Amino acid sequence: MPSSRILPEFELLMPQSVEEAVKLLKKYKAKASVMAGGTDVVVSGTQGFATEAVISLAKVPGLDYVKFSKSGGLKIGALATLQMVADSADVKKNYPALYKSAAINGTPQTRNMGTVVGNVMRASPSGDCACALLALGAKIVFQGPNGKREISIDEFFIDYKKTARKADELAVEIKLPAPKTGVVSAFNRITRTTLDLSKINAAVCLTVSGGVCKSARIAMGAVAPKTIRLIDSEDLLKGQKISDAILDAISASVGSQISPIDDVRSTAEYRREVSPVLVRRTIEEAIG
Amino acid sequence: MNKHPITLTINNQEYSITVAGHHTLLQVMRDQLDLTEVKYGCGRGECGACTVLVDDDNEKSGRKAIDACLALAATMDGKKLTTARGLGENGDLNAVQQAFVDESGIQCGFCTPGMVVKSTDLLEKNPKATEEEIRFGLEGNICRCTGYVKIVDSVKKAQKVMTKNKKKK
Repeated sequence: MPSSRILPEFELLMPQSVEEAVKLLKKYKAKASVMAGGTDVVVSGTQGFATEAVISLAKVPGLDYVKFSKSGGLKIGALATLQMVADSADVKKNYPALYKSAAINGTPQTRNMGTVVGNVMRASPSGDCACALLALGAKIVFQGPNGKREISIDEFFIDYKKTARKADELAVEIKLPAPKTGVVSAFNRITRTTLDLSKINAAVCLTVSGGVCKSARIAMGAVAPKTIRLIDSEDLLKGQKISDAILDAISASVGSQISPIDDVRSTAEYRREVSPVLVRRTIEEAIG
Repeated sequence: MNKHPITLTINNQEYSITVAGHHTLLQVMRDQLDLTEVKYGCGRGECGACTVLVDDDNEKSGRKAIDACLALAATMDGKKLTTARGLGENGDLNAVQQAFVDESGIQCGFCTPGMVVKSTDLLEKNPKATEEEIRFGLEGNICRCTGYVKIVDSVKKAQKVMTKNKKKK
């Protein structure tokens, strides 16, 4: 029985730069866990998930930024905390789904430690920022031994805790496209108490013009082995005037796209019942 | 091999110590430095009994509250920290601590060091916090005795005292 008080021993590595961190990743590969805020890596340790080495980014300068420009969009550095993102007026105004997923994440203390990039890299199916960023169409920038690589978040989540990050790559930045006229977004989740992980969560990002939905991205978490997009629901919505009938059809389409399980936080049955409602409410909230 | 020499400034006192890489800040504070006011509650960032303040590198944002159980001590090298013991000046209680005494915001007392640290942080950042904002700010601190009513009353009392003191100045 692992002790929750004492972490299993590991080698702590504290690179001073991104380059040094990547060199260490190349050496240790999957034997090392990358740690930004520590809110996941340390908790995993107390639950007995041993790791040979931890690569802490604490001493890597220049990664704790949230930058926004109207033409360039949003850039979130690997060490930007959830609180930094929640505190950004630009995020709140232009990316409401991301704002909410960061602002209600965990507790005030863990928001001061945990990072948005870490929330995505952990690839837990219930990750709140991961869900919001999937709907918002984020891009992830990795630094590897041979330079930088940028991928769409659509390609990132592969399976339960399996991602497209190569073992010798470090996620250095997450980017969101510049805000465009008519683009709206929203995020919602169901929890028992506010500091719980989500039983289920949903995020949408729509382009709406004259009441007609031009494009749609709908994401859900904790209803499948990974954070997923509801492509069938998106197709139903695209090109349509948003009406009660369309929303009914979208609600009805959710069930066939999800595969929820029973776990400590909820049951498959409950998740199946509530998912269509949550998706619908989130669309309604986005279009306001 | 896995030893890290670090310097921490805690409650204005400097400590130069060597810590193991896998030891948390909480462990080091309690077991190496005897700062036992920082409590071990859950060990996973849910209860807030180990809340401490850390001075932000970016001075504008002031100090921020973190869970000492989730920080590896070695990664905190060079940081300035404040625990419940260091909230007041010259060993006195600060306005929040005094209000917890006056309003009976303390029953068993185990959550209190974390509560007063987090409450001080929230009133520093938002001196005019509403009850809702106080409750939101204390979401990461669990109390199993009071039912929170007395705790919120204590924070409100502290808020009044702090506003009065500010006006006097």
